[in-house]
Amino acid sequence: MIQLKDVSYVRLGSPDLESAERFATACLGLQIAQRGKKHLYLRSDERAHTLCYSEGDPRDQTVGFEVADEASLQDAASTLESLGHAVHAGSAQEAEQRKVKAFIGFCDPTGNHIELVVRPERSGRRYFASRDAGITGFSHIGLNSTDPARDERFWTQVCNARVSDRIGDIPLMRVNAIHHTIALVRAPKAGIQHINHQVENSDDVLRSYYFLNERRVPIVFGPGRHPTSGARFLYFRGPDGMIFEYSVGVDEIEDEATHRPRQFGFEPASFCMWGSKPAGMALPNN
Amino acid sequence: MKNGRATPLIVSVCYVRLAVSEPNASARFVSDIFGLQRVADQDGEIAFRSDDRFRTVSLGKNSPDGASVGIEVWDDKALEEIARRLRELGFTVKDATAGECRRRYVQSALLAEDASGNRIDLVTRPTRSGRRYFPPRDAGIVEFHGVGLRTTDHVRDLAFWRALGAEVSDWVGDIAYLRIDGLHHRVTLYPSKRNGLLYAAFEVEALDQIMQNSYFMQESQIKIMQGPGREPASRQMFLHVEGPDGLIFSYVNGMAALDGKPWLARQFPLTAGSLCDWGSESKDVPELSAQG
Repeated sequence: MIQLKDVSYVRLGSPDLESAERFATACLGLQIAQRGKKHLYLRSDERAHTLCYSEGDPRDQTVGFEVADEASLQDAASTLESLGHAVHAGSAQEAEQRKVKAFIGFCDPTGNHIELVVRPERSGRRYFASRDAGITGFSHIGLNSTDPARDERFWTQVCNARVSDRIGDIPLMRVNAIHHTIALVRAPKAGIQHINHQVENSDDVLRSYYFLNERRVPIVFGPGRHPTSGARFLYFRGPDGMIFEYSVGVDEIEDEATHRPRQFGFEPASFCMWGSKPAGMALPNN
Repeated sequence: MKNGRATPLIVSVCYVRLAVSEPNASARFVSDIFGLQRVADQDGEIAFRSDDRFRTVSLGKNSPDGASVGIEVWDDKALEEIARRLRELGFTVKDATAGECRRRYVQSALLAEDASGNRIDLVTRPTRSGRRYFPPRDAGIVEFHGVGLRTTDHVRDLAFWRALGAEVSDWVGDIAYLRIDGLHHRVTLYPSKRNGLLYAAFEVEALDQIMQNSYFMQESQIKIMQGPGREPASRQMFLHVEGPDGLIFSYVNGMAALDGKPWLARQFPLTAGSLCDWGSESKDVPELSAQG
């Protein structure tokens, strides 16, 4: 079984790195770690980077997960190949671009680009935000799925993900104590549905609501609170249509051995207990 | 506060009596929309509960004895002391008649007016209810929390409240947050061109209820005058909702407690950022919009 330790980074293609940088710093509030002609590396926590924009097609979207060591990486490659997934062994240059020691790439059953990485770089200097959004770190992703039941089996049987809760047939899955690191979202094709950053407290969620509204950033859902994880949230739209989320107060699963996933109905109240309604953002399964 | 006495002069803000043009229509807002429990209809006033007190809000027709804010006084001796102090400062005070007391659901009362003409009832033994509070909808109301008052003479009005034992916790411009118990404030004086109640605030359980009520009001097409927001000085979260006749009903939560430690009132500038930490602004209420 492939032991995912944590989500590590997201890589996004963009035809306009300047706009991406403007949004990432002035709106989202990340720190620029490194700026190249064709790459923009952004920090959100103690890691050297958690988001990387590359000049290119916005449909190029990749999410990286950390595994323990190179032996685990080799085991993962064999497992995936035996199941018929094409595995790309990352070159030294590609690993350097990702600021990791080694990595492999493959596609999940929906076709999402996934990378498994070893020893992603940390930064000696602390994270210093470009605006006071209160970000404490990159935390999880929403991942498109053309068949949530099939993909749930992949993430929970081939990998070590565990289902924390379900809304309808979509699973919120954890790879460590945090309620979810991967949220599957029913969609017609592969892609990252949203990128989550944690913030310090609910004040930050509400402050950003007013801040982003004033800057005409489209708020697509919230401010609200998920009854599943307990998190207070705000979803908004960034460059190339990518949706970003701030949230705070994601529950931790206290007893791994006895936790049973709860079933929530597929209805708006299962996504927000405050009464906010998605606007310009499809609820999963819609 | 105690001013060196063994017991405080005043204890709580215990009711608001509101004068409205159409009490019955307004009553539907107060119960069905805002979420208070309708408990009585007598002496021309419709009474509502929000906690274990018999009533904290009354709606009556515009009339000479129609509107007032009730302040609970420790006992009759404290009432006498307050009467003496207010008369000494030149404020109008009179003892309430039996009828006026009955209408207020209290044992005894001193009817006073501050310098702006706001009618303040100083009352003893306001009626409690034996049955628990049972609201008409799940707005999460915990208790009647306090009031915001408009003042046309904030210097004299502050003298009035200080005579009752209230102390200033903080200033935003000349807006004064007044403390009468362990919490940051229960009464706020807002300099204004006119007098009257600015808002009646009701504490809810948590941020969840502030936000749920915010979406409920949007869906019910009720105007939100300001919020959701958070006062930087008191750390209190708020949602100010437009009620009948321009009166504001507010949901609040999270106010800081000062717990009797020595406290020097802080001065904040009169800016939007001093009135809301999150960035909410009030476009239609000059007293809430840092316009002075």
